[in-house]
Amino acid sequence: MPNEPDDWMERARQALDGYSETLRRAVAGTLLKPRNPIPIEELTERILATLGNPPVVDRRIADRTAPGRALLAILGQSRQPVWKVGHLLTMLAALGSTEGFAPIQSLLDAGLLFPVREFVGSPLNGFQQWLGQEPYPNAEVFTLPGVAARAKDEPLGLPNLASPEGPSKSDTPRIADGLEWPLRLAAVGQLVADGAMRTTQLRALFKRDLQRLQTHELLAAAPADHLVVLPDIGVLTLFWALGAEQLAIIEGELTLPKAARTATNRPLTDELVVLIAGLSSIEAWDPLLGYRLIEGQLSAVPSAAVLLLLLLAKAEPGQWCESAPLAAWLWEHHPSWQNGLSPEALQLRGTPWVESLLFGVFYPLGIVEVVERGGRFIRLSPFGRSLFTGGPKVPDAPAFPQTLMVQPNAEIIAYRQGLTPTLIGRLSRFARWKSLGPACTMELTAEQTYRGLESGLTLAGMVQTLNQHSVRPVHPAVMDLLQRWANKRERITVYSSATLVEFLSPADLDVAISRGMIAVRITDRIGLGADGADPDYKNLRLIGNRDYEAKPTKCIVVDDDGVTLNLDAGQTDLLLEAEIGRLAEPVPADGGIVRRFKLTPESLRRAVLGGWKLDDLDTWFFARTGAAIPAAGRMFLSGPAVPASLATKRLVLQVPNAEIADGLMQWPTTKACIEDRLGPTALAVDEAKLAPLKEVLESLGIKVEFA
Amino acid sequence: MSQAVPARMAVKLHRRVCLVLTEDAVLAEELLARKKLAGEVLGRLSERALLIRPGRIEAVLEELIKMGHTPQVVGK
Repeated sequence: MPNEPDDWMERARQALDGYSETLRRAVAGTLLKPRNPIPIEELTERILATLGNPPVVDRRIADRTAPGRALLAILGQSRQPVWKVGHLLTMLAALGSTEGFAPIQSLLDAGLLFPVREFVGSPLNGFQQWLGQEPYPNAEVFTLPGVAARAKDEPLGLPNLASPEGPSKSDTPRIADGLEWPLRLAAVGQLVADGAMRTTQLRALFKRDLQRLQTHELLAAAPADHLVVLPDIGVLTLFWALGAEQLAIIEGELTLPKAARTATNRPLTDELVVLIAGLSSIEAWDPLLGYRLIEGQLSAVPSAAVLLLLLLAKAEPGQWCESAPLAAWLWEHHPSWQNGLSPEALQLRGTPWVESLLFGVFYPLGIVEVVERGGRFIRLSPFGRSLFTGGPKVPDAPAFPQTLMVQPNAEIIAYRQGLTPTLIGRLSRFARWKSLGPACTMELTAEQTYRGLESGLTLAGMVQTLNQHSVRPVHPAVMDLLQRWANKRERITVYSSATLVEFLSPADLDVAISRGMIAVRITDRIGLGADGADPDYKNLRLIGNRDYEAKPTKCIVVDDDGVTLNLDAGQTDLLLEAEIGRLAEPVPADGGIVRRFKLTPESLRRAVLGGWKLDDLDTWFFARTGAAIPAAGRMFLSGPAVPASLATKRLVLQVPNAEIADGLMQWPTTKACIEDRLGPTALAVDEAKLAPLKEVLESLGIKVEFA
Repeated sequence: MSQAVPARMAVKLHRRVCLVLTEDAVLAEELLARKKLAGEVLGRLSERALLIRPGRIEAVLEELIKMGHTPQVVGK
């Protein structure tokens, strides 16, 4: 969910870009009511400009029917600009609307609402077409927060369900500090970072992950300040963290989005508003049954939670409500809530369900306050009233900067009254939450320190946070531990996609390092820029560009001697750099730019000892030179495998040409006298048969002379 | 007298390289001795630099963490 107004405008622009011209003109016609036709290229900008114009927006809201205005008011009060159509229809029905989809259609037509399109293909010609494409009831719409804010005071027709007899003024209401959920969300973020958690396509949890949440020491425990015990509170925390965008699902895997890895600087009240907005996404949790996901059905939690808050907002200042009348109203008006109730809750007309939500979910948020006097009475807290009734803004709680105590055993005690979302966020990056209570405990560990460093923190930054918020300076033993853990991280650096810079000579690399162009020396000629990024090209001339993932290419020319390898500087790749030293010796540079290596018996023997076989070498030479390993190299390797060579004295008959030799080898009379053919014209003759052979040859007219 | 340096040095760039750089050669040896990790190493560029198979960085990281290392990840 975008956070900044500009992000929402951009989102609206993207939605409008997905409309056909006819649809965009229709929306502009309703929203702008132009007297003259607007050129197509100006349509989107004019619509967006109008949506940023409060008086016009007010007029267009006033043009809508009462259910349409109520719908925008709900969007504004919920602080959630994105809602599922199914939930909006449910809330409209609960408010007494019988118009079905018409109020939503009316807002879409006027550009006050936009469809969320998962798969943007062809331009959208109408909103019915979109509803047909997106799976109902999960299709979503969004509005601009600025538009929803203009409508949030529109009347909803909700009754005041305050009890005629409430607690006396002397009864001190019980109110939570609002930190419980931000702390739990931070802890669930750490659990997700611990190990991959996955969800199915329907956002259901796998059994192993469900068990992790149900048995987690911190997340499964009830809050220290609790009025009811929620079932599967860890599951609720997880899905709420998703709704508040402190977690994300990427390819089915839960992960901490980049924004959540960096500490927010928003005050607690703003953080709580984000959580209230996130309630609209809780589909797989029930206040009485815990983890529960029913395929094809929407949960009643998002719609009922908003309606309950708006019912509480109807009470006058000083008035108190009880859960039973609130449950009775839902019983009467909510179209689907009863269907999901357990038999026990049904018997009590849903009151336990409502109590669980009011006292278990709302109370720790600090938006309601409670008095126990015979029964439980509830009303919006001053903070809750500031949100839902436009009551006076609640001043920020006094700051207690020194709220930590860092113990020599690397445990941190965090006194709750001094915690802020910023501090919670920052501590969560490098210390592990162990327990939550009036005094929370955290633990500094090697793994968590590592995660802190990976998230962009520095050791100095961590120590500064601890010192800044600690009642006394960090103990030297803890400093030592942090230093040691941080140093350990420096031992291995993994570059996932670095640019390596190869120089023509070691001297060039030296110069580049001395000029600060290269940060890390990898080999005598190859270096790495800061963070593995591209170097500054100002002082460089590019002679080659290799993609690491490209296939190896031919880049070696073998000299006639069969052992000298000439490298083509433009074509070589890193793999070659890593491999060639294993099978050849570098030849000292002769001043030219061509780099040479030489095959030697020793170098090839070393390659064989390193695991290369003759076939591997052949494959390598084919890939790099286009031919098999040269004969000289093959000889270096095959020498030990061939039988011993024989040194003997032979009587050699050298004939004038190969034809004569062929004839002598073929004719049985002469063949019997010949031991071996040594070459095209050289024959080895049995010494004892030389005389008969000479005789036969002379009979043929071939003279034989003795050397 | 210092040697004159050419204004612009000729270089070749190797992009999208997956690389593990260790503090010393012994640590690189230690990593190569781990069978699962060695299988992901394409080559050893220097005593301290190991080239990793493209797309296998996550597996390498997982294995390094299993070994008890806390690698600094650049460009993730």
